[in-house]
Amino acid sequence: MKKLLAVVLCLMLALSVCGVAGAEAGFDGELKIWVAEAVVDFTNAQVEAFKAANPEYANMTVVIEAVGEGDAATNMITDVEAGADIYGFAQDQLARLVAAGALIELSEENAAIVSAENDGGSVAAATLGDLVYAYPLTSDNGYFLYYDKSVVTDPTNVEAILADCEKAGKNFYMEINSGWYQTAFFFGAGCTIEYGVDNEGNLVSCTCDYASENGVKALKSMIELSKSPAFVNGSSASNATNIGAIVDGTWDAVAMQEILGENYAATKLPTISGYQMGGFGGFKLLGVKPQVDDAKLAACDALALFLASGDAQKARYEAVQWGPSNLEAQKLEAIQDNAALAALAAQLEFCVGQGQYPNDYWSLATTLGDQIIADAYDNATDDELLAVLQNFQDTAASYIVK
Amino acid sequence: MAKENLIPEVDIVIDQEAGVIREIKPEPKLRSKKAHEKRVNGAIYAILIAMSVIWLLPFILLVLQSFRVEYGGQVAYVIPKQFGLDNFKFILTETNFPRWYGNTLIIALFNSVLQTVIVLSVSYALSRMRFRGRKLFMKSVLVLGMFPGFLTMIALYTLLKNLGLTQEGAIPGLILIYCASSGMGYYISKGFFDTIPKSLDESARIDGATRFQVFLKIIMPLSKPIVIYTILMAFMAPWGDYVFASYVAFGKSDSYNVAVGLYDWVNTNDFQGYFTRFCAGGVLVAIPITALFLMLQKYYVEGVTGGAVKG
Amino acid sequence: MTDLDYLKMSKGEKLVHNAGKWIASLPKKLLNSICAIAMFFVNLVKKFIAEIKDIVMTFVHGDWKTRVSFFIMGFGSFARGQWLRGLLFLLFQTVFNMYILFFGGAYLAKFATLGTIATTKVNRKTVYGDNSFMILLYGILTIFFIIAFIYTWRANVRQNKISQEILKSGKKLKYAKDDIASLADSQFHKTLLALPTLGIFTFTVLPIIFMILVAFTNYDATHQPPGKLFTWVGFDNFKTLFSSGSANYGDAFGQVLLWTLIWAFFATFLNYFLGMLVAIMINKKGIKLKKMWRTILVMTIAIPQFVSLLYVSKLFAADGLINSLLLKWGWIKEALPFWTKPSWARVTVIAVNIWIGIPYLMLIATGILMNIPADLYESARIDGANAVQTYGKITLPYMLFVTGPYLLTSFIGNINNFNVIYLLTQGKPDTLGNAAGATDLLITWLYSLTVDNSNFKIAACIGIIVFVVCAIINLVVYNLIPSVKNEEDFQ
Repeated sequence: MKKLLAVVLCLMLALSVCGVAGAEAGFDGELKIWVAEAVVDFTNAQVEAFKAANPEYANMTVVIEAVGEGDAATNMITDVEAGADIYGFAQDQLARLVAAGALIELSEENAAIVSAENDGGSVAAATLGDLVYAYPLTSDNGYFLYYDKSVVTDPTNVEAILADCEKAGKNFYMEINSGWYQTAFFFGAGCTIEYGVDNEGNLVSCTCDYASENGVKALKSMIELSKSPAFVNGSSASNATNIGAIVDGTWDAVAMQEILGENYAATKLPTISGYQMGGFGGFKLLGVKPQVDDAKLAACDALALFLASGDAQKARYEAVQWGPSNLEAQKLEAIQDNAALAALAAQLEFCVGQGQYPNDYWSLATTLGDQIIADAYDNATDDELLAVLQNFQDTAASYIVK
Repeated sequence: MAKENLIPEVDIVIDQEAGVIREIKPEPKLRSKKAHEKRVNGAIYAILIAMSVIWLLPFILLVLQSFRVEYGGQVAYVIPKQFGLDNFKFILTETNFPRWYGNTLIIALFNSVLQTVIVLSVSYALSRMRFRGRKLFMKSVLVLGMFPGFLTMIALYTLLKNLGLTQEGAIPGLILIYCASSGMGYYISKGFFDTIPKSLDESARIDGATRFQVFLKIIMPLSKPIVIYTILMAFMAPWGDYVFASYVAFGKSDSYNVAVGLYDWVNTNDFQGYFTRFCAGGVLVAIPITALFLMLQKYYVEGVTGGAVKG
Repeated sequence: MTDLDYLKMSKGEKLVHNAGKWIASLPKKLLNSICAIAMFFVNLVKKFIAEIKDIVMTFVHGDWKTRVSFFIMGFGSFARGQWLRGLLFLLFQTVFNMYILFFGGAYLAKFATLGTIATTKVNRKTVYGDNSFMILLYGILTIFFIIAFIYTWRANVRQNKISQEILKSGKKLKYAKDDIASLADSQFHKTLLALPTLGIFTFTVLPIIFMILVAFTNYDATHQPPGKLFTWVGFDNFKTLFSSGSANYGDAFGQVLLWTLIWAFFATFLNYFLGMLVAIMINKKGIKLKKMWRTILVMTIAIPQFVSLLYVSKLFAADGLINSLLLKWGWIKEALPFWTKPSWARVTVIAVNIWIGIPYLMLIATGILMNIPADLYESARIDGANAVQTYGKITLPYMLFVTGPYLLTSFIGNINNFNVIYLLTQGKPDTLGNAAGATDLLITWLYSLTVDNSNFKIAACIGIIVFVVCAIINLVVYNLIPSVKNEEDFQ
């Protein structure tokens, strides 16, 4: 076995030497791409189009495997070497991937193209420090409100929605124990939580003002919401059985149409306690992993740019209804008419592009949400709530020292 | 299992004088005791029926949902509005499920053969032979067993990767992992071998048989229950492994086992409305395993009981 | 205290008395074991000196064949016609030399620092430096190999000495044919154990040592090979794990450890007594369809857990079938927080575990109950004992006596019961911070730290803690069980 290892190692060395020697024009080795199952066929077609358009890459072998965005990030971090050369992921994983050495920054030319062609939020989400690390694919990873037209008469404020749901014996779903959905309250009430990240993906600073009057306002509205009998924690359509309204994203649009049928409707998030709910804007990105071979790197760059281009994004919308981040593609008529995407676009104006957060932040936020659901703060005074938020804020800041 | 009939339900005495067995009519006092007995039995029946409902209900629900044709997420009713085989058809033709099923079956088959050979070899050596390092071996296994298995995951993954046994090679890789350390599970079968009298070996050895022949010709034929128990356990284990299997397959859908494939359907956002399909997959996995288990239940009972008693 | 006093005590008192005695004897035991360890090392040194002496004497008294064997392993065996042994020795030496020269040596040389050359970029091309992970893993493998080599070399030397003596005394040596034959007979254990031992070494011992060492490095999300290096940091990680404060893991650790023990206690003993109760009920005379009841219960063993537990976890979810139906029927106003409130979630996992666990215990108890000598019950009946008394005086003590060791293994097994927790709750609700949840056991916490947080260093520390906890429980129980056994003696 040890001998075998030695042989393998030697072979790898030899291969990398050959690779350097055969650099420059084109690339005819193998490339591996990971995308979500839904877009495997679509990506295959795009790759063929890419090869047709770029004869120098016509002999390249491209292997496309179905790996969901969440798994892709985890797998890349487990083993960069065996991972895909190009892969799709959700932007919250960016810093983790960069820190693990699983992403290479874009070349200056590509970075310029990407920055010019995509909406500002998506570019910001793909940027760490002053380097762009990924190609935005979609601008649809945010959340908004789906509701049943026959139940909810006034979708503009939570109080009315809850009253309607209670009356009809239906539920209002929102996953308030998730650091992602929770920001709808805090950001809406005027708070921020943000981590500064350097070029390497390391967290260097934390800006958080949850321990404030606004923070208490947000927390109190969450507590109020959790007290309603119609409220159910959760934001996944396929787990919800009795939907009056649900805060969810475009990935559930098809399921929601199926569940609500002709009563299907979508809109921006409502107001709560008098303020408009905010939240995170989310994006899907395409990344390239660091390469030891210039030719392969060039091929990856070219292919990734192609797959994230405006034309590809338009085609992707037509194939699987993923909302584009490309400014040109966003003007597509079909996209303007899509209820879910329109709702998302309307919500986007109240959203903050999701930056980088340490894993601990998510579990800290879940802890807060779980405590609210567990009725721990139901009778708390403002001062006590402020203390809870102060603790939250201090803990969030303490992740920097680590 | 025959003991339950040893104690007859009515008191009988042998009437010496008449020379016949005569049934004693229950006295009034005894009758009230009988009524009490009846009440106790009634209560037990009630408990057992309640338990049976709790034990079976989830499985009945699982089967019912697997036949549901309409919307595939969670719903608030039990009986599907429309019955059909759509979910089964879908997972067998539109997904990679048949492949996952085949993978798991291959792993299970190889595992049951190789692991059984290894476990029986180790148990025999430890039970029948005395050699230097025997105590050390047993103590080391005891100590190693106290480390949580997942601790070794990343190192194992790297070892397998360097042998080319991840991703495409995940199936042989998993078989290798499962079997490599299976020698540590010698406990139960060693306990069984210990109960076979040593005099059997010795007389055969006097007749000129080698250890190998003794193992094959004398011990094995006497060990049918434990062999079947070991095979059964080795066959069933791979069907439930999620953690190692997903780690080793590393995103390569063709190398998944059923647990990894189906787990994704319930727990990832990419698969909305796959819940009834998960149920269908679960039914297809559970039926053969359950049938096999129930068929060989007798041996399983012997194995666990023996293992528990001898510790 | 006299023996008589002891005999007069009730069972509980005896147990307390024995436990107290054991604890009182701890300092003495500790001292004894320290002495034993010291003696062990003294003996080791003595043995080592003896070995060296023997090796030197073998060289001095050896003929030329023996002397050459010191440098070319197996030479002597070849020269004396034992070609199989010679070949094996020579082969091992060749493989070893090749391995050190072409593979292991480089890793071993960097073992002390775990690599110093950082990964760099030439334009945008990446040039990888040292890989700390590989250096650690293959460094250990190389050390293993070196130990194996020393051992084999020693065997080679001894072999020469013995062969020389045998030849001198005029007896015949064992040749290849005898060696092969012996593998099926007197050396049959070598045949049987060779592969399993190799497997255990490579795929269990090596990875475990690897992870133990990781606990002493800074291998985490910001120090991940191949892009970054990690290095030795001593006991820093244990300090982080045990200190409290938001940047540390102490608070979460304490709670997870406590819950792990509570869980293991309930999962073991609740299942034990309920399982026994069910077995007694089914075995009671007058109960019909015994086989059917057993078969129904055994379903939870037969059906793979990932199917049944995943399904049950959905069943109890906030919007799962149970809550939906209860809401629809108007029995409850708000979904029951089976998985979302910490206390509920803990009770629910224990309850579901009963569903999974009772059948095992029922099967085991059934087997044992049938082995209880019937005359014991007979005499109890004559003495006029009722059902409860019979149970307390005969059934329970007998069961405990016979299954004592099983309870221990089952307790340890429950501490490491990954499947039930992971498939049901994945450790949620996450109320403890540091990625730990209210239902997280040490083992599931270890898993999520590894997979979701790339926090390998802390995960490795937790793994070591799990080992220590299991070892302590084992030691304590093993020390207490003999007294329990004597006391429960039936004769």
